[in-house]
Amino acid sequence: MKYYVAVNGHEHEVVLTERLGELLVEVDGEVLDMVYEEVDSLGQVLALVGNTSFGVSIEGDSHRAGITIAGHFYDIEIEDERERAAHAAARASGALGGSVKSVMPGVVVSLLVSAGDVVEEGQALLVLEAMKMQNEIGAPAAGLVKAVHVTEGEAVAAGAKLLEIEVTEAE
Amino acid sequence: MFRRILVANRGEIALRILRTAREMDIETVAVYSEFDRKALHVRMAHQAIALGGVLPGESYLVAEKILDAAQRSGAEAIHPGYGFLAENAEFAAAVKAAGLVWIGPPPRAIEVMGDKIISRRAMQAAGVPLVPGLTDAVDDVAEAVAAAEGIGYPVAIKAAAGGGGKGIRIVHEPKEMASAFRTASGEAVSAFGDGRLYLERYLDKPRHIEVQVLFDAHGNAVHLGERECSIQRRHQKLIEECPSVIVDEALRQKMGDVALQAGQAVEYEGAGTVEFLWSGGEFFFLEMNTRLQVEHPVTEMVMGIDLVREQLRIAAGEPLGYGQEDIVMRGHAIEVRINAEDTTAGFVPSIGVVENLRLPGGAGVRVDSCLYRGMEVGLAYDPMLAKIIVHAPDRDKAIRRMRRALEELNVSGVRISAPAALAVLEEEAFCAGDFDTHFLEGLDLSKPRGSEEQLAAAVAAIYRRHRAVDRALAGSGETRRGWRERSRAQTSSYAQAAARPRSGGGA
Repeated sequence: MKYYVAVNGHEHEVVLTERLGELLVEVDGEVLDMVYEEVDSLGQVLALVGNTSFGVSIEGDSHRAGITIAGHFYDIEIEDERERAAHAAARASGALGGSVKSVMPGVVVSLLVSAGDVVEEGQALLVLEAMKMQNEIGAPAAGLVKAVHVTEGEAVAAGAKLLEIEVTEAE
Repeated sequence: MFRRILVANRGEIALRILRTAREMDIETVAVYSEFDRKALHVRMAHQAIALGGVLPGESYLVAEKILDAAQRSGAEAIHPGYGFLAENAEFAAAVKAAGLVWIGPPPRAIEVMGDKIISRRAMQAAGVPLVPGLTDAVDDVAEAVAAAEGIGYPVAIKAAAGGGGKGIRIVHEPKEMASAFRTASGEAVSAFGDGRLYLERYLDKPRHIEVQVLFDAHGNAVHLGERECSIQRRHQKLIEECPSVIVDEALRQKMGDVALQAGQAVEYEGAGTVEFLWSGGEFFFLEMNTRLQVEHPVTEMVMGIDLVREQLRIAAGEPLGYGQEDIVMRGHAIEVRINAEDTTAGFVPSIGVVENLRLPGGAGVRVDSCLYRGMEVGLAYDPMLAKIIVHAPDRDKAIRRMRRALEELNVSGVRISAPAALAVLEEEAFCAGDFDTHFLEGLDLSKPRGSEEQLAAAVAAIYRRHRAVDRALAGSGETRRGWRERSRAQTSSYAQAAARPRSGGGA
């Protein structure tokens, strides 16, 4: 089975082959002589590469995971060949929409624009409060505010759509 | 000494206080919001009293509820910890009026030091050096622009009622003033219910150095050296250490004397911290925190003094029993704050349920943590989950020890600030002691720094494969999904609660 694993944004190919009950691991075309053993059901993993020991922990699901090795964090996105083909097709039909998304969970403290407003690049659109810090969310590009999806006082999750901006100058 | 005290706080600081109290044979009373009913501080106290409510504004910030809990439990004194009601002079006065002992400074000292403008005036009168700036609040943007010309750019806009980095903006040129003024004022209103702002000069290459002081009720006072807290972002500290590399014995004495002078000016009592900005050999008074600081453990490690014990002794009327000449510094201590935040995405808050947890240990490592498996991390409370403190014979060894401790740490469910701290500890400039308060902001932390990408890729693929095999063997896999959905439902109901209006608080 072949997996495309993006680690901190860098792509790696992992091929796993089961042979006589042993798992053969190939990373980027080279065989990795490793032992993988799950210590518990919470994500603690023993990983030995040759005789080099790594205390690894992993969390997440089959598409997105986080791995910690010796204090450093590795952000993982993983897809198999079938998923990769499906994702590529979706990207090709590509909606490069002008939606402004929340990068953090928080509460909308104040809305500074409304639908129909023309905004400049960087202009403050709204103030989002998270952990008692207020952050101004600026317009990613100059354009027209097509829709506002949130109201003042509303709690938003990370990745939630806040506003739609139609880019006026397309280039 | 007290027989029973109430700890009006949560999280690691509640545990910190409970621990010392237990060692002193003092019974402890914890209070908790509905959100914290399973929290460690509830489980580690002798008594636990529910405050009701989910958010801080419905629980830990409600003075009447805390006082009622104290009366019902028969507590003789209240320790406020930091944050919440710790620097609320009205609450301190109410505690005293209720016939209880307030484990903190006199309400008047809290009041004076809690207002940046009043405290500036008091410090000026006491001969304490101040950063050039205004002692009066500015009313609007135009007035701020005019005042800034006199002070000289860059200027810092600060909330008069402020603290903890909220309501602070740096303005480099006049056209930035309007936006900075608006957000600073909004943040100040939201956090403190007081939108008054004032201006002061923003210093070049400043270092944040603070001095720990202790005053008893009999006129004895000592300073316990400095803490260097320059590794901070948006005025939220990440790494603190004791001593500071730029403070020698002569400067330590000088800063200590000024810190004591500042405390004496407000007739201080108990443990307090005088914060200074150091720039080019000069130091200026920033503010006095009239409470225990988050970073107090680094002082404890180097001085061999339990600051909570000293607070309790002073509040009980005992004399310090030692003088300045008895204070001896030993080795070097570093603290790293473990916050729930994604440091690769600009330190945005991270929420979730902690499942996997491995805390560091070994010689010279102290962990002040409120973490447990199953703990939910939400938005309405402070993001600080734990502090790792190391003590070693010198700074170099302390840095190595902290790196080792952070390498041992695992927390799942939320992203944590440890990788960013590790990145700082691996920077040559930091290790050489060459940094200022802008150091962390200037570091590119957007890209994770681990060098084991191929191993991570292999582990991720094998993990995914194992889960697929698990699912195939378990048949439906309903049990696991059921658990997942339940924890998600809890999180989302909490997110709704967070949407309700709330008052400030936390540390």
